[in-house]
Amino acid sequence: MHRLATTLQAPFHWLGQTALSWSFNAGGLALLTLQVLRNLLPWRWQFDGPETWRNLYRVGVKSFPIVVVTAVLVGAIMVIQSGLYIEQYGAYGLLGWGAGYSILREVGPILIGLMFSGRVGANNTAELGTMKVTDQVDALRALAIDPIGYLVMPRFIAMILMMFLLVVIGNFTALIGGAVTSQVLLDVNMVLFFQSVIAYVLLDDLLHGLIKAVAFGFAIAIISCHFGLSTSGGAVGVGRAVNASVVGSAIAIFVLDYAITFASL
Amino acid sequence: MIRIENVTKYHEGRVVIDDVTLTIADNTNVGLIGPGGCGKSVLLKIVCGLIKPDKGRVLIDDIDVHKLKPTELAELRFRIGMLFQNYALFDSMNVADNIAFPLRQAGETDEELIAEKVKQALIDISLPGIGERYPNELSGGMKKRVSFARAVIRRPPIVFYDDPTAGLDPVTSSKIFILLRKMQHDHNTTSVTISHDIEGIKDICDRFAMLDRGRLIFEGDRPAIEACEDSLVSQFWQGYSDDELNV
Repeated sequence: MHRLATTLQAPFHWLGQTALSWSFNAGGLALLTLQVLRNLLPWRWQFDGPETWRNLYRVGVKSFPIVVVTAVLVGAIMVIQSGLYIEQYGAYGLLGWGAGYSILREVGPILIGLMFSGRVGANNTAELGTMKVTDQVDALRALAIDPIGYLVMPRFIAMILMMFLLVVIGNFTALIGGAVTSQVLLDVNMVLFFQSVIAYVLLDDLLHGLIKAVAFGFAIAIISCHFGLSTSGGAVGVGRAVNASVVGSAIAIFVLDYAITFASL
Repeated sequence: MIRIENVTKYHEGRVVIDDVTLTIADNTNVGLIGPGGCGKSVLLKIVCGLIKPDKGRVLIDDIDVHKLKPTELAELRFRIGMLFQNYALFDSMNVADNIAFPLRQAGETDEELIAEKVKQALIDISLPGIGERYPNELSGGMKKRVSFARAVIRRPPIVFYDDPTAGLDPVTSSKIFILLRKMQHDHNTTSVTISHDIEGIKDICDRFAMLDRGRLIFEGDRPAIEACEDSLVSQFWQGYSDDELNV
């Protein structure tokens, strides 16, 4: 009888726990966003200089190679995909536009954002989570240091700034990758490719992608810091937090992408 | 003076600290003892404002710790040093930077002075010349001593030691207790020391408090605890058990 009651209760128990967990995370994310924005106010502006430099290096310089490789491949894939139709209609002058438009507005920021969340966001959550479960965050507080100012703000600044710069570099590299591929595989002159980009791709398209880059950087920073700082339960807890952070960041990237694209219509 | 008044803390519906009232006079070292999981570390974190109690209050020099604004709490924490049970050394910094960290955060900018203080601190803990090493290159005992140096580098008048000798060999434990006694003697600190090493803390603490399942079951000086007839207290103090082991 008791077993039957437990089995019947299980779905409600799961529902309740899931609702509580989602509420906790939604509240935590909102609270952390408010705390970060409050720390950005000129009269409350506080962050640790050396820690910011360390994060700029870790987040930006260390991500550079993987972003460049991804971007070159993205450019090449876009040209190969559109090349089928370009060859069919002989519209070689539109190849640069097709590749450039999709790279700058959509594919570049999204793929670099996902790479960034997998590499930087996961690493950030793991580092903060380990600090949390080994009492390092409490040690900071015991030393009269605000973990938001010391741990979160440098990461937040580094992630937004570096996501922006990496997307700029990634866009440029993807276009080079596309141009080289068009020359090698489709025999379309690279000069014609770039002329097409310059002629048809608008500044708005570039800005649209850069706005997405900043929004993705913001989301990845907040989500990865939240899951890191709310880690509990030792090494298993750190693993769970990293998983939640990567999944949460990916969802946020697609939701924001949809929202920004919709808003720009 | 530190006064803990009717402090209660719940965790996931379970009582972790149960209506504890305790006074720690200035310049005394109180040994906080009790079985593992009885709430000693939680109580210490409540006292220094890291965890908020569900009931009761903590007064340090008549200031309610949990009613302070963040800036006021930060000021209070400049007067408190804490040695954590599992070291809590910052992995991204080397030993010298770990020890210097509280000084830099307190606004000290004279790097020569900081280097001199760090060098002296490393000599004091008998680990000269390891400043460039990182925490993951140190043994448990070395980490504990570095953590001690970091906790006291600002010479705080109040220091909390959470199990300073846990998992250490007898020689290293003895060194740690000598450091604690020296700190107490040289700087007249008010401190609370959590330890399971009864032999070690017998000589360094002026008073003792014992927790069991979150409740304070004893508070008094050494003669009082030695004369205590409560079986839980006397068994813990003397290190024996009435229960037979079923092996």
